[in-house]
Amino acid sequence: MNLLPDTYHIQQTFSGYCRTGEKVSLPGVAPDRLKHYRRLVFNMINDTMENAFPIAFKHIPTGKWNKMVKDFFAHHACRSYQVWKLPLEFYTYAVENNWEENYALPFLNDLLAFEWAEMEVYNMEDIPAQPFTAAGNWLDTPLVLNPEHQLLSFTYPVHLVAKPKELLRQKGVYFVLLFRDPETGNVEFMDLSPWLAFLTEQLVMGITVRDILDYAPQLNITDTDTLEKDTLAFLQHMQQQHFVLGFQS
Amino acid sequence: MVGLGFRREFAEEMISGEHIRPDFIEFAPENWMNIGGYWKKVLHRVVEKYPVLCHGLSLSIGSPEEPDKEFLQYVKTFLQEYNVQIYSEHLSYSKCDNAHMYDLLPIPFRMDAVKHIAGRIQQVQDFLQRPLVMEIVSYYTPVAAEMSEVDFINEVVKQSGCQLLLDVNNIYVNAFNHQYDAKAFIQQLPLDKVAYIHMAGHEQVAPDLIIDTHGEPIIDPVYDLFEWTIQHLRPVPVLLERDFNIPEMEALQGELTRLKTICHKQWKLKDELVA
Repeated sequence: MNLLPDTYHIQQTFSGYCRTGEKVSLPGVAPDRLKHYRRLVFNMINDTMENAFPIAFKHIPTGKWNKMVKDFFAHHACRSYQVWKLPLEFYTYAVENNWEENYALPFLNDLLAFEWAEMEVYNMEDIPAQPFTAAGNWLDTPLVLNPEHQLLSFTYPVHLVAKPKELLRQKGVYFVLLFRDPETGNVEFMDLSPWLAFLTEQLVMGITVRDILDYAPQLNITDTDTLEKDTLAFLQHMQQQHFVLGFQS
Repeated sequence: MVGLGFRREFAEEMISGEHIRPDFIEFAPENWMNIGGYWKKVLHRVVEKYPVLCHGLSLSIGSPEEPDKEFLQYVKTFLQEYNVQIYSEHLSYSKCDNAHMYDLLPIPFRMDAVKHIAGRIQQVQDFLQRPLVMEIVSYYTPVAAEMSEVDFINEVVKQSGCQLLLDVNNIYVNAFNHQYDAKAFIQQLPLDKVAYIHMAGHEQVAPDLIIDTHGEPIIDPVYDLFEWTIQHLRPVPVLLERDFNIPEMEALQGELTRLKTICHKQWKLKDELVA
């Protein structure tokens, strides 16, 4: 590095000001001009978070939200060279710093995870699907699923409810499947029962529906006749939705 | 060639070419690398239709720290994949203490910074196996300057061997904000190194301050400066940047047409004189 320590320090001070907005003294710098850098830089961060987390932004009190974004940008070194990936760092920072307790928002981690997952699945690189055929035996042929998906579990139904009071009332166990429609590129999401979440997880590993159904009694699911019918109906519906692509060839 | 910055807001209009038809497009690799789905399909459609130039955002050539090799590898692959003809970046820094700022911060105009940046430009050029075209950025305050802006730029070009992206609006903005003569400034630049021109609109936010927003149409004095400038240059690609307050496509096409008319007039005349 050819930079002299003084120049290095000046650059650090300038960028540090942009991150925190805390007053600094820099030789040759006009303070009334300097403030525009803080404004422009911070607006970019703020806009990125508002756009990535529209539900969180709408339902978290403005004071708390502003404090979160300022805290994040001031204390976290943003590592992504692609700004669209920055919301993942915001979400991770929230988890690491226990924001759900500190800001008394118990559903915060779930909500940020859900909103980030929507963005991530929408933008994620294309993943080629395994070869598949349109015809096969639903029970005995391993299914080929759309690989562009995420299966998430939540304590609060952030994928179903937006209002904080409602969320808090409905604390429980929730599963949601997000996947990218290969034709439109849109992200679809679906609330899943624990059984369907288990089924999806096993299907991803190439296990047949029959083998998964055989395992059902060990999950204390006894109504196996209905279960098989309902499970197949779900999978056929998911084929129409472009999540089940077909049968392994 | 007069091109237009490619944006998602008017991607379909550019692909259809019905109301807007630039000669080429430009986009930031950072906005399109490592993505799939709908937008990757759109990207493929648009690059089939237009020649592509790329203008980076995150290289941060003026950063104190070492260049990010992983990032550079992605850029290199991307430029090859999309057959990108020019890769330009900004003579500024947007990352410090390994924290990205996502905006262009002014580098102190100092000789040690020149040496540092020239070395980094050479490193990047060697890695990418192509020349870097560095944009003279707009800035709102000098920072601990020990030399003039134009001397700083000239030294960087001389020591690094890079080419220049002359953003005529930036020169206009800087000349206004720092009260110097834009034409005199341009005349002192190594104009034989100019490989690319940008044009854009701006917003005056105070009696003595213009912010380079890319959110307004180009104003007449910037067109005038552009016409004067290109008389001193060999023909190079010219790009219209419009990032905010996107107007109807006919309005953007009007700006492209005006730029093209000026290029045709000045560069055709020059060619005839040379002939």
